[in-house]
Amino acid sequence: MKHITTAITLTILAGLMLCPLAGLAKNVDLVTLPARDSVQLTIYNSEDLTLVKETRYVTFKKGVNKLQFSWANTLIDPTSVTFRPLEHKDDVELLDTVFPGQKPQHLIWNVQSKFEGQVKVEVTYFTSGLTWSMDYVAITDPDETKLHFRGYVRVFNNSGEEYENANVRLIVGTINLVEKIAELARRRGIPVPQPAAAPAVYEKLRREAAADGMARAEMPAEPSARPPVIVKEGLSEYFLFSVSGQETIPNGWSKRMQAVEARDVPFDIVYRMRAFQYGPRPVRFFIWRNDAEHKLGESPLPDGQVNLYRQLAPPAGGGDGSVDGLSFLARQQIRYVPIKAEIEINLGPDDLVVYETRRMGIERLNFHFQAVSGPPHEVVDGWDERTHWVDTIRNYRTKGIKFELRRQWDGDVDYDSEVATTLFDYRTTETTFDIDARSKRQYPATVTVHFGANATQQRVKLKENAR
Amino acid sequence: MRYRAFVIILAAWLTSTASVASARIKLAALPERERVEIQLDNGNYTLVEEERIVPLLKSGKANNMIDFSWSNTAIDKDSILFRPVAVREGDKFRPVKMIKLADGTEAPEVNVINVAYPPNENALVWEVYSAEACACKVRVSYLISNLTRTFEYRALADKKEKVLTLRKFMVLHNYSGEDFLGAGVWAGFGPKFLKEVNQLDDLKLLMAKFTEVPIDKTFTFDWYTHGALNPDKPLASKILMHYRLTNDEKHKMGEFPLQPGKVRIFIEDGHGGEAFLGEDLAVLTPLDDTMKLYLGESRDIVCTRIIESNQRHAVRGNLCNQEIVIKYEIENFKDAPATLRMLEQLNRLGQQYFGNTHGDVEWEKGGKTSKEIRFDYEFGNATPILLVDLPARPADKDAKVEKVTVRFHVLLKNLWP
Repeated sequence: MKHITTAITLTILAGLMLCPLAGLAKNVDLVTLPARDSVQLTIYNSEDLTLVKETRYVTFKKGVNKLQFSWANTLIDPTSVTFRPLEHKDDVELLDTVFPGQKPQHLIWNVQSKFEGQVKVEVTYFTSGLTWSMDYVAITDPDETKLHFRGYVRVFNNSGEEYENANVRLIVGTINLVEKIAELARRRGIPVPQPAAAPAVYEKLRREAAADGMARAEMPAEPSARPPVIVKEGLSEYFLFSVSGQETIPNGWSKRMQAVEARDVPFDIVYRMRAFQYGPRPVRFFIWRNDAEHKLGESPLPDGQVNLYRQLAPPAGGGDGSVDGLSFLARQQIRYVPIKAEIEINLGPDDLVVYETRRMGIERLNFHFQAVSGPPHEVVDGWDERTHWVDTIRNYRTKGIKFELRRQWDGDVDYDSEVATTLFDYRTTETTFDIDARSKRQYPATVTVHFGANATQQRVKLKENAR
Repeated sequence: MRYRAFVIILAAWLTSTASVASARIKLAALPERERVEIQLDNGNYTLVEEERIVPLLKSGKANNMIDFSWSNTAIDKDSILFRPVAVREGDKFRPVKMIKLADGTEAPEVNVINVAYPPNENALVWEVYSAEACACKVRVSYLISNLTRTFEYRALADKKEKVLTLRKFMVLHNYSGEDFLGAGVWAGFGPKFLKEVNQLDDLKLLMAKFTEVPIDKTFTFDWYTHGALNPDKPLASKILMHYRLTNDEKHKMGEFPLQPGKVRIFIEDGHGGEAFLGEDLAVLTPLDDTMKLYLGESRDIVCTRIIESNQRHAVRGNLCNQEIVIKYEIENFKDAPATLRMLEQLNRLGQQYFGNTHGDVEWEKGGKTSKEIRFDYEFGNATPILLVDLPARPADKDAKVEKVTVRFHVLLKNLWP
């Protein structure tokens, strides 16, 4: 037996057109219960906000019709509920909306109709509890030259309502809300009515309506042979992901669908030594871009977790021809990646690439003295300290690597090296090396720091030959 | 009591997906694991990959629903991957191939359509399309907690302490709540093991054995780290003993970096047995680097350090040089020659005999430095290592041990208060 939790109903209050509003509290709800014809969910990931758009067929009589809309056990913002006819627009006019004080989570629309018969109407509202997130899986080939990149959207339904066969659209981008939808839904301390407390007739109608929905949901459909296609399109400053077909996500469940796929994505491997940022050991990065060259770039990539694997080499002889297992390389949360922007995954330190820095010699020179009365008559108040550094990078990998070295220096610094060096910022030197497989490189540098009266700046100055 | 912590159920999807979790009715056989791989190459995450043969129905009116659930084990739900890899054809498996769909596009003959996660359950449901009824080999992989590895070493030195045998072990700790029978275990290097890994098991697996590894036994004197030996010998200090092993091919290693771990050190006793020398925690030793294993203190080498002279020379104003001669008197009571490594921390020396050194001290060797001293700069310019070779104690019973006296004459330059 099915457990029914559908909470939203739309009821026409027939024969009550002349009754005062107080009469509504008597719950004489009758006549037709129009089921949903279609549902579209537009889910935002920057806020707990979903725009629900549903269409229903309502039979109107000429004159004023009263329509009751209720949403027990859900997180709908009452201030956001709208009604509009999609047919006979000139004949059907919404006169007013009443939120009855004695019936929380209900509203009544008074609709003037010059037309008698069935009209397709649209009801929209904001709800909370429906959210979505993105995650990514990247699997490199055994040689770490290309990767198979897939992105998945996962839609979570904790809204209290079951949206069956819904069209799902996901908004990528940040919007501004003055008030949270969930707070608006709970405003005025309205207790959420329990299903058992609802009048029997109302509950019966609700079950019938829900059963109708269920029946449609169980209609045998052609099974999908591929994951739903997710169409991406730009919309103002946002991106809209539309899931093809219809999805049913029961309350409390979540569903994960593939949204992005790119095979044979080339990527770069870069080692970075930045003690001030990544710690005392060089770290390994896999870098590629969200662009056509990298078989991506169809849309921005929303924030999400990346799990990175490497395909292990197939066993000798190939076995049954299937690929072999995986090796887990890294996990990282990436932030929103615009089109053409880079994706960087930090794999952490690599035991096969070693960096050492050593201070090989030091001398002090260019002393500046200040005269003082009495012995010793002058004292040191400025000097230069010249240090000879030798950095060594050892690569034990079976292929060459690109190695980026950044070092930060404090004070007034003159920097000299026979190796081309640039400034990343006013106090950070940057050098890039290509280091062959199983080889090492040395990077000597002479660093002169001006102290005391000799210090006139707070920056690194590169000597001519270091540039 | 053992129990299966997770199961895969090929579910006849009897209920609508709209049903709540408690009403989910599951049916059908549990496809057994054909193979399990435990990948321990990432020190922070353990990846388990299992292979199962899943019978799939032809996707006629509905797709196959495969229910994967677990309990009493910490599987990372967000890491679970399902990969159909091969389809049985006759008595063999062939890779999953691409087929042409009705709309003219291509798709795998077995394809994961989506994954659904029921509320409040350690479970998920894959919706899988299959073009034909088949037995499909699938790989399910996930990250799991409390299945970890550490490394341990056992070193056995020969009696003369010239070479040793180093065994490297991986110790697998399974507190994951799950048994892994016939599991392939791999640390990312070294051999792959096929083992039964039951829960609460700790497995110690031999990964590598390096024999005849040349070792360098060193004796190190470091006055500023260890200070006076005792009140009776206020100018002597500890002599620390180490074995030094270089992780390269020349030293019969160099296959892979040596991970951190505890090393238990033994020595052949010359009677077919072994004696325990002690243990140390080895740090990560990359290729070509040296692993230093601390053995303890030597009582048979005595070194006394005496500041023989200490003079200040004015340069200009308050700028001056500090000239110091350090005399070392060394006795080797061992029956074998040895080399003593004496660390001189010149920054500490400058601070002690002058005061502020304004960072690393600038220095140069003076002419009174003994020729017997060799210099090494493993710790940088400001901490030179002075190497002195010592002869063995005389074989003659009546002969006294020769006291080796050397001097380090150092000029600490350009100092000012």
